[in-house]
Amino acid sequence: MTLLEVDALDAFYGDFQALFGLTITVDAGETVALIGANGAGKTTFLKCLVGLIESKRGAIRFAGEPIDREPAERISRLGLSLVPEGRLLFASLTVEENLTMGALNRRPGSWTLPRVYDLFPVLSERRRQMPNALSGGQQHMVAIGRALMSNPRLLLCDEISLGLAPLVIDQIYASFARIRAEGASIVLVEQDVKRAAGAADRVYCLLKGRVTLQGPARGLALDTLSRAYFGA
Amino acid sequence: MIWIETIVNGVLYGGLYGLLGVGLALIVGVMRVVNLSHGEFIVLSAFIGVSLAHVLPGVHPLVLLAPVAVIAFALGFGLQAVLVNRVVTRPDPFASILLTFGVAVVMRNLMVEIFGADPRNLPAGRLAHASTTIAGLQVGVLPILILVVSIALFTLLQLLIMRTRFGRIVRATADNRDVVRLMGVNPGRVYNVVMGLALALASVAGMLLAIRSSFTPYSGVERLLVSFEVVVLGGLGTFWGAMIGGIALGVAELVGLRFDPNSGPLYAHLLFLVVVLMRPNGLFGARS
Repeated sequence: MTLLEVDALDAFYGDFQALFGLTITVDAGETVALIGANGAGKTTFLKCLVGLIESKRGAIRFAGEPIDREPAERISRLGLSLVPEGRLLFASLTVEENLTMGALNRRPGSWTLPRVYDLFPVLSERRRQMPNALSGGQQHMVAIGRALMSNPRLLLCDEISLGLAPLVIDQIYASFARIRAEGASIVLVEQDVKRAAGAADRVYCLLKGRVTLQGPARGLALDTLSRAYFGA
Repeated sequence: MIWIETIVNGVLYGGLYGLLGVGLALIVGVMRVVNLSHGEFIVLSAFIGVSLAHVLPGVHPLVLLAPVAVIAFALGFGLQAVLVNRVVTRPDPFASILLTFGVAVVMRNLMVEIFGADPRNLPAGRLAHASTTIAGLQVGVLPILILVVSIALFTLLQLLIMRTRFGRIVRATADNRDVVRLMGVNPGRVYNVVMGLALALASVAGMLLAIRSSFTPYSGVERLLVSFEVVVLGGLGTFWGAMIGGIALGVAELVGLRFDPNSGPLYAHLLFLVVVLMRPNGLFGARS
């Protein structure tokens, strides 16, 4: 079943066009990697999905419902959850308060506070601390936990390995197996091509706001990929 | 002895100044907007209180605090929903400053038109002048009551913001109004309630102030000035800082009046000037 259907999506920042006719689908239970260099439009694409960019054209359907004209606060209730680039935690809320914010528009499902602490035990020890007192990796765990608390059908992760030590990235990627086991689909936006392709079922490569390559992640030839990535 | 009395009365009176300013501190802290019509709403609340007292003779003005606060909440909610939310997301702070300045001017003139320019006050019978002796000090009953009410409201506000689900949403919205939308929160609706709360708190202060001294439709500027000083003295966006800032102003004003009976609020303003020169982030604000 197709969970997310994006058809011919254009997006704009004022006069500047950032996305050109993006057509992307995500099936239920699938993990899709969205790779591309800086400025390729990956973050813009995710912001369009969750309703944070209003000047856009094209059709976005989520679980059969058109959402391209809906405001962000309505879209989030349908089960579309974003782990934003740079984490964007609430600095004046404790770790636990940050997590409970995610449950405001909770859908029925298996993710609860104890289960998130079970997934990231270190957060349980630091539940009363402020996010700024945490390491970068721990802050990412809070951001992922916050997104999970709504029991999303589709989890969008924007650059979650950026600036983290390889060991911490391993830990975070290991959590995806359990998130998928609970039934959520995942869109991974990454600059780290190898890691993203390793975790995904399918890959889309973006270059300057256009899809330059798509296909199954397994057996992706490195030279084809590098051409799509750099446009060389 | 008379100096201790003066200082004690200044502290009691200062609680009221704290209450005037805390609403403004709340708005600045949550939506980074300065409401220049804050003073006019304080004066309007006092006029509403006087009118209610006129319609309901025999009802003590302290009882009227509750209905006036409810009306002020509704006015704040409406002001935010109809006007301020249109400009609050603009990156240019001038939009909200001009808007609320315009609201202040219109309100001031409407109040002159409706209520006239004569000085009014809220008659509170014996309460206004009653005093009691505590540990050999002559202290007014009304000032004690004012401080008790102020501390009670500050405590309630603190609990609301720090301990409840609504307070969590308010703090999160203050941190990032885009990200809360991803959690299903409409920032505009949060702002409506916050503006309502701010003006409800200010209306209580406005009523109590109207018992103590008279006011006219033009008193809003002086109220706004005090509110500003409280917010800046306390450090932008901190509640208890606003309370302490208010007390500092109250003590400075009453001590100044002992020295120089014609000084009015001059010494409070001088204190403000000195503190801002020495600590531009306020008494409790983070040092930059």
